Amino acid sequence: MSSSKKFGSCLALWFSVSLFNSCWASPDKTWKILTELSSQELKLYDPSTDTPRDSKISYLPAEPYPFEAPYTAEEMGYRYAEFPHINRWSTMFNDVFGVVTPSGYINQGAWVTFNLVVGQPGFEGYMRHKPGDPYAKWSVWQLFPPDLQGGQQFWSPYRTDKDFRTKLDFYIYSKGLRRIRRMPEPRRDQRFPDNAQTIDDVMGRDPWEFKWQLLGTDVLYETVRFPKTRPKIILNEGEEGFVERSTDSLKMMGDAFEHYRSDGGVDCWVVKATANPDWVPSGYAEKHLVIWLEKNSFYPLRTEKYGLDNRLIMIDERLVRMEDPKLAERGYAAYFSVYWNVDHDLISYSFHDGFELKEWTEEEKKTIFSPEFMRREWLYKMIKSQALVEKPDQFFLRSHLYPEKFPTARNVNLPPNLKTRYEAQESAQQLIFESNP
Amino acid sequence: MRRPNLEGIALAIFFVSICFDCSKVSASGLRDGFSKFDRKIAIFDPVGKYLKKPIEKKIPRLQVSGFLRNWSDFLLEEEGIVGSHNQNNRFLQLQNLAEVEVDYNIGKGLDVKGIAHMLYDGVYDWQGGTGLSADSNDRTAELYHDSERVLRELYISYRKPWLDLKIGKQQLAWGKMDGQFIDIVNAMDRREFVQLESDDYEIRRLPTWMANSTFYFGNNTLQFLYVFDFEQDRIPGIHSPWASPFLSESSTDIISRSTRPEAGNFSDHEYGVRFDRMAGALTYGFVYMYAWDKNPINRIIGTSLVDGRRVLRLESKHERIHHVGFTADYATTFSGLPVVGSLPTVFRVEALYSNGVRISDSQKQNDTRNGGPLSDGISTHDTVRAAIAVELALPHRTTFMFQPSWYQTLNHKEGLGPGFGGGFNDEWSFIPVLYLTRPFAFSKDRLSVDLTLYPLISGPDTGWGGIKTKLGVSFKFSNFIKGRFTLNRYDSGDTTDFYGQYDKWDNIGWELSYEF
Repeated sequence: MSSSKKFGSCLALWFSVSLFNSCWASPDKTWKILTELSSQELKLYDPSTDTPRDSKISYLPAEPYPFEAPYTAEEMGYRYAEFPHINRWSTMFNDVFGVVTPSGYINQGAWVTFNLVVGQPGFEGYMRHKPGDPYAKWSVWQLFPPDLQGGQQFWSPYRTDKDFRTKLDFYIYSKGLRRIRRMPEPRRDQRFPDNAQTIDDVMGRDPWEFKWQLLGTDVLYETVRFPKTRPKIILNEGEEGFVERSTDSLKMMGDAFEHYRSDGGVDCWVVKATANPDWVPSGYAEKHLVIWLEKNSFYPLRTEKYGLDNRLIMIDERLVRMEDPKLAERGYAAYFSVYWNVDHDLISYSFHDGFELKEWTEEEKKTIFSPEFMRREWLYKMIKSQALVEKPDQFFLRSHLYPEKFPTARNVNLPPNLKTRYEAQESAQQLIFESNP
Repeated sequence: MRRPNLEGIALAIFFVSICFDCSKVSASGLRDGFSKFDRKIAIFDPVGKYLKKPIEKKIPRLQVSGFLRNWSDFLLEEEGIVGSHNQNNRFLQLQNLAEVEVDYNIGKGLDVKGIAHMLYDGVYDWQGGTGLSADSNDRTAELYHDSERVLRELYISYRKPWLDLKIGKQQLAWGKMDGQFIDIVNAMDRREFVQLESDDYEIRRLPTWMANSTFYFGNNTLQFLYVFDFEQDRIPGIHSPWASPFLSESSTDIISRSTRPEAGNFSDHEYGVRFDRMAGALTYGFVYMYAWDKNPINRIIGTSLVDGRRVLRLESKHERIHHVGFTADYATTFSGLPVVGSLPTVFRVEALYSNGVRISDSQKQNDTRNGGPLSDGISTHDTVRAAIAVELALPHRTTFMFQPSWYQTLNHKEGLGPGFGGGFNDEWSFIPVLYLTRPFAFSKDRLSVDLTLYPLISGPDTGWGGIKTKLGVSFKFSNFIKGRFTLNRYDSGDTTDFYGQYDKWDNIGWELSYEF
């Protein structure tokens, strides 16, 4: 080969590499696989998979929670478990929730929820709780819909392990029947009726039930999306009362978050959690999760669930807020959550309106947090909300799909009908139903 | 021979023609139409929008709720004369019920609640036939026209963490089972008789004036009831849709009007106490009530000669009963089971022992009628009714429940009539209730189907007593509107059996309700 040809080849190679690098560095490509992590990111990640175990509870890592960098994928999973849908501290709020079907039927609820954490708050408290002991008590009063108004529920979740499998004791008080009735606990991997969420989505998943793997990093710019038809929302801000906010102004990690990128994005670790058949119930329908964890707090801003046949079942996205600054990066709590069940094209939301940290008195603990309390038909404290969706076309949008990201771990193909509705939604920036308008 | 079922044929033609028309419409057209309808009906709440919300906004301490409901049952076939009943009508009920509930918070822990409702049953006016005329004897069979029925509940409540006190007209449900076991406090409007379901108790229970206090300490509660106004059960009278075909038009005996316990008489008041305790996954409780039998018993007070025949002079009277009951439930999850994997399960049990139940004794009555020694014509027995339920949460949100229920008259003897809590015209009766329900994912869980079977076996004389089958289909149109279709069948058994006597009462029903 002549030197001029060699020079030409080198030039072409240099040009190709430069072009590749410029594409790689393009703001459009926000995700990186492990081999692409920066040295700074590599300093925060420990690829070990056989870290020492806890001397008392053999399935827990020996390193004291909440761990120090570098973090293994498993440790990231433990930090993720700090943030289930219902936070692990004593609180009260109005859980405003709903679902919309592809036809545009909306079903909503507003439940005043009192939450008592029995032992130490936070995931560490849960982790060190004795399996078989209830770790929280949730007392619920139903304000909406009308047919359930005045109905009540009492949930008592347990710390579980391989030997003690009962996730919760569950009671309902039907105003129509005027009876407290103990119910079988919902099956962990099944949607609640007329909803996209499962009991595991609400109560959170134990990290020791999964095998953890870091896929890479990503930057998220949007999670929960309001449609263009809902530019404003009225929020119950506690002592401030009802406050109208522009939906555009609600940020993924809240107003006080210090780690937004200059372009508004949020840096995330992306992990894969595969259900360990030794732990989950036999036939458990969820094979693996892909989770976007905010890099500093490990808050799960986006979670995808995949079935036993690797199909996408559901996407869960959240808008969160710092609710307890004393807990620093572990003080975030879900504010808005949107769940898109792809199988049935069901979109559910849950909004914790009027959220308030609460230190319950001993008398309140004894009084409110017992199934027998429901018989008294006593709404202990009213927490009002004006956040119900008024019309089907004001419902939250289906989540972003990001088909290009981590293709080896994610299969986000949609059935043709749903794909058409999804694309039409993206163009209209509001939900598109089976018929429009 | 049965007459040709012309209405059924017309109904079938109607539905077939609808289906035929539907087939001409494209699937996408139907889907579009349904989708548009869905979005419109999802926000249809006129009372909520124009009445409830403005009132609640103006008076923040007030909460208003209520419903409108049409509730109809239609006989599958018109059978003509069945025993004493002339079944020349098709509707068993055409009930329209409106209810408004108002809750006002006076201050911390102090509330007042009022519920008013109005029922109009069109079976007596809105259809032809001469078989139904019970409204001429009892106006409430057709319309709630008096304050006793219209003012359903009105009570003031005062709550402290350790105490609940409710004084006024109210209803109180003890018991958690399918059917009534320890649910003994309030009387019931049993106009639907064998078709009265647990879901209807809220509407059919007859609230009464009482003082109801509950004390809370630790995991225990202790409740005291003082019921100072008695309400009796209302059973379907002659010429009402669910009148037993074996009720006779007239009696040769002379029956005086029933006397009932009076609110003004201290010794007529009822008392109850209940203790409950939670111990981990187990909850249990005991009840005691010194009550009246909600149904009067005919007691012989003398004899008379009518046309040369000796007839009984009977006084229809309520009698005292002591009730002692027990309730418990326990929840667990079985894991590693074949097919279903894990299986969340709840066990429930309820039992009631009733002491001193007076029961009409036909042997004693016949002896007196035939010139024997004068007796009261009544036997006193103790009864036990109990049930154990196992409720399973199966895959696909399917719930299955099996509830064997037992009714026993102790020291039973031949010739006894029906009595509170005992076997149905026999020493014992056994109903193993089976219940299955599931929502359907294709409807986004708005459509659900339930099936309940009530097979009846009594002994030692009766044996198989027939089976009642209820198949229900419910659909949720919106957060405010619900609909339901029900098929009720009464099969096999003898014409004198509890279910068997209603062999000709197979019916379909629908219920449409709007709540706000």
